[in-house]
Amino acid sequence: MSDPATQPVRLDIDGLIATLTINRPEARNAMSLEILDGMHSVIDKLAHSETTVLVITGTGRAFCAGMDLKAVLIELSGDASVGKQLLTSLAELTLKIRNLHQVTVASVNGAAIGGGCGLTCVCDVAISHPDAKLGFPEVDLGICPAVIAPWVVRKLGPGVARRALLMGGIMSGQEGHYIGLIDYLAESREGLNTLTDSVAKRLANGGPKALSATKKLLNAIDGSENDKLVRKGAEISATVLATPEAQAALKARLK
Amino acid sequence: MSESMVSVSYQDRLAIVSLNRPDKRNAMLPSMLEELQQRIIECSTQAQALVILGEGKVFCAGFDLKRCAQDPSGQIMSQLLTGLSAVVQTLRSLEIPVVLGIHGAAVAGGCAMLGGADIVVADQHCKLGYPVVKIGVSPAVSAAFMMASVSHGTVRTRLLDTQLISGTEAKRIGLVHEVVEDIELVRSKSIQIATGLANKPRSAISSTKAWLNEITNPMAQNAQQGLDVSVSLTGSHEEQERLATLWG
Repeated sequence: MSDPATQPVRLDIDGLIATLTINRPEARNAMSLEILDGMHSVIDKLAHSETTVLVITGTGRAFCAGMDLKAVLIELSGDASVGKQLLTSLAELTLKIRNLHQVTVASVNGAAIGGGCGLTCVCDVAISHPDAKLGFPEVDLGICPAVIAPWVVRKLGPGVARRALLMGGIMSGQEGHYIGLIDYLAESREGLNTLTDSVAKRLANGGPKALSATKKLLNAIDGSENDKLVRKGAEISATVLATPEAQAALKARLK
Repeated sequence: MSESMVSVSYQDRLAIVSLNRPDKRNAMLPSMLEELQQRIIECSTQAQALVILGEGKVFCAGFDLKRCAQDPSGQIMSQLLTGLSAVVQTLRSLEIPVVLGIHGAAVAGGCAMLGGADIVVADQHCKLGYPVVKIGVSPAVSAAFMMASVSHGTVRTRLLDTQLISGTEAKRIGLVHEVVEDIELVRSKSIQIATGLANKPRSAISSTKAWLNEITNPMAQNAQQGLDVSVSLTGSHEEQERLATLWG
């Protein structure tokens, strides 16, 4: 048994509530292949669990800084296929999370950037605090947020999502709350855990059948069952990522 | 002849239909929804805009759960869900615009009425929400209509979480369009907005409304599916047990 504190992705279960913690604080919980593999295996376990609520959060100051940029810079990794692997894995992970019978809650403890913000959008409920940094700066880095775009559109509505994805940049938790990216806002970073606990407990009071039937119906009618869209998004993102323009912009950012 | 639970009045070009069971916070019964459906259809041919309001302290507290708890077959719950879905669909398909004025509380079935409205007016402290999963009922019946107006993320949170929200918060998420400071102002504000709509060229309004319905049709087409999901849980062990805990 390895020490839970050093596992890249942790799973804790307390009654009906499961908590997945991304545990790579030294890299602001960025999604490497190892992190994504760890998340896949936790989500696979939960598909057969009697828990009714899943909270997703991160260790340290960040929730999830998005894709591991060092891994997708071909010059550094020496492997042009890593970017596509990461994007494909992220696509499949978001589909799995959406299909869980549990109601999912993103407890956004800090920065949720790019894919990390996409992860927030795929959850049923998002909670954060006014100082969290959120957003989709993909276009600023020459890359295309296609893989997460379907989830962003479903979370924010078509009009707001278009603005958020095309204009890039970063917003505060406060702004995220105003546009509907964050459903509940704690007064401060310190208050986030208490608020998350109370929301998770309230959700767990729901009838398990009523919750899962409602979630399934929502997935059916908002297009979430359209796996092809997200997979096609991963291909588009991968194609753009491999272009000289994107690689040059990423290289400049990492310097 | 049972007592009427819906009242109708006319004011200039407006028809005003009110839920009228104030001693029960306008809690819905199957007969009330049937009557509401009939009155809406009748008056829509005689007015250029429709206002829907509630008499008494609140707009509507939802289904009459006491009656539901006394019916182990789940039949009353099923009739209520079906009747409510029909009313919302009728409101949406009317040629004339619909202004819904909610005050005090519009909860569960009362909140589902928003799905049929073109414009919703609320007082700032009005309580809104769909807290029905706690009684083992699925609010799926409302999902299709909500998705045709607000973001899908908002729909997800509001239908899965039992937390009630204020009129002010409902405006922020796009569920309510106009907020007034005081309960007393809901009626006059609703009438003012409906009068403005009624005074516009009728064909421009009706064709615009029809086009908006068509654009959001992929969502509204799922109305039947949502109703089926909600009805499928009626009479279930989970629902009966939870209703009995509240009302038994």
